[in-house]
Amino acid sequence: MTPVLEVRQLSARYGRVEALHEISLSVADGEFVAVLGPNGAGKSTLMRAIMGLIANSGAVSFRGAVLPRQSPDTCVARGVVLVPEGRGIFAPMTVAENLELGAYLLNDADEFERRRTRVFDLFPRLRERLGQIAGSLSGGEQQMLAVGRALMANPKILLLDEPSLGLAPKVTDEILGTLALLNKGGLPIVLVEQKAPLALRLTSRAYLLSVGRLVAEIDPRTITSHDELARYYLS
Amino acid sequence: MPDLSYLPQIALSGIAVGCIYGLIGIGFCVIYNASGIVNFAQGAFVMMGGMIAYSVLNTLGLPLPIAAAVTIVAVAAAGVAIERVVVRPLWDRKATMFVMILATLAAQIVIERLALIVAGDQPKTLPQFTDLPPIRLGVVVISYQFLWIVGVSLLLIVLLGQFFKRTKAGKAMRACAFNREAASLQGINVSRMLALSFALSAALGAVAGVLITPTQYTAFNVGVPFAISGFIAAIVGGFGRPLGAFMGGIMLGLTQSMAIVAFGAGLKNVAALSVLLIFLFIRPGGILGEAK
Repeated sequence: MTPVLEVRQLSARYGRVEALHEISLSVADGEFVAVLGPNGAGKSTLMRAIMGLIANSGAVSFRGAVLPRQSPDTCVARGVVLVPEGRGIFAPMTVAENLELGAYLLNDADEFERRRTRVFDLFPRLRERLGQIAGSLSGGEQQMLAVGRALMANPKILLLDEPSLGLAPKVTDEILGTLALLNKGGLPIVLVEQKAPLALRLTSRAYLLSVGRLVAEIDPRTITSHDELARYYLS
Repeated sequence: MPDLSYLPQIALSGIAVGCIYGLIGIGFCVIYNASGIVNFAQGAFVMMGGMIAYSVLNTLGLPLPIAAAVTIVAVAAAGVAIERVVVRPLWDRKATMFVMILATLAAQIVIERLALIVAGDQPKTLPQFTDLPPIRLGVVVISYQFLWIVGVSLLLIVLLGQFFKRTKAGKAMRACAFNREAASLQGINVSRMLALSFALSAALGAVAGVLITPTQYTAFNVGVPFAISGFIAAIVGGFGRPLGAFMGGIMLGLTQSMAIVAFGAGLKNVAALSVLLIFLFIRPGGILGEAK
């Protein structure tokens, strides 16, 4: 399959510290890919570099076209959408306003309603909470809002940075289940996760990062025990 | 002991000038919310408002409403120019807040000096908007300019509130205030919002300048005192809160006018800075509390 998202030799630094060292990876159409690694491995930096939130060198292309550097709004316009670490919801605004801002680039009321209905089908609780201030939602609901808001942009590829962070296992399952459903519908997804077993259950391929470098590409089917996974982390 | 029967009259003039401080304070908030920048060129917008309106009125001979409209558009354009020439290059290099304050203060001084070269040092004034004798209500005399100042200010507050609450651009600006990075991840062009916020603040400053000039005068150097008063209004209101800035402005205007009567005009700014200090000591978050 031809890749939809292609990252070539992406490097990024915070001041003088190199946070990302020449990462190359690709995601094929309809794929569900995980990016794994311990805390501080550079997973979030990788997502931020792909979206152009931080200065970087290297190239990111989506469906054959190179994405401009440091222009997150262009990435969104092209269909590359990130649910950031910590969700990034607009806490003092209502759920409805958050969803509206997700569709910021859309100027079509009918299409807006279609997208919102789809989000409500996936997360019925957001419909009930529509008039509520986003900051007053539970952690799980906030994550649903973050994913729902990203879907309002009608992504052609969805990147998620640790959506399970700080959530109860049951809520995590619910959200990951929704992601699996979206992926079955044809949406390519990149899931950043610290808890590897969680991600490997869903994904067809996984990249392993360690101290800013890509150290392995894993086929989840070959991982049958925790020991094998641990070997990757320790090697 | 001053004659207390003047008190309502003094209060009225305090409210009028307070509205002006409030509008300038809102201008500070709009830019700060969109970008985290404290723009000290805010006073230049007020000065330009009065000066440009004067020139348009007297050299082009246009009627006052049209002159006012031309002025507001011109000053908004100047706001965008400052954003492009001074702020954007620093913003792109992630300059700190102090650098931004110094840079915009420098822009203020440059504009001030340019105004001096172009328009000279003579104070200028604008005619009253409505040339009718003031309304008498018992001991109080209300001028039509007072009604213009208060009416236009309140109208602007309502319009701004609707802009931030109902329009897409307004919501996007609020989103930038809460979380700029997340805003950019929704497809919002954050630097365009920065330019828009400068245009909006400059327009507010211009309106303030056009409104207040008929009651006093304008000259190349009125900007800084107005900027300081507007800045105090914004801090007293809880920096980043437009409505708070307006309330802060009125409070400041009242305090100043009372101080002028009680202690003389020379202590007007002492009163203003005392208000600021009292708030910084007792309630640093301002009337409404800090925005973030």
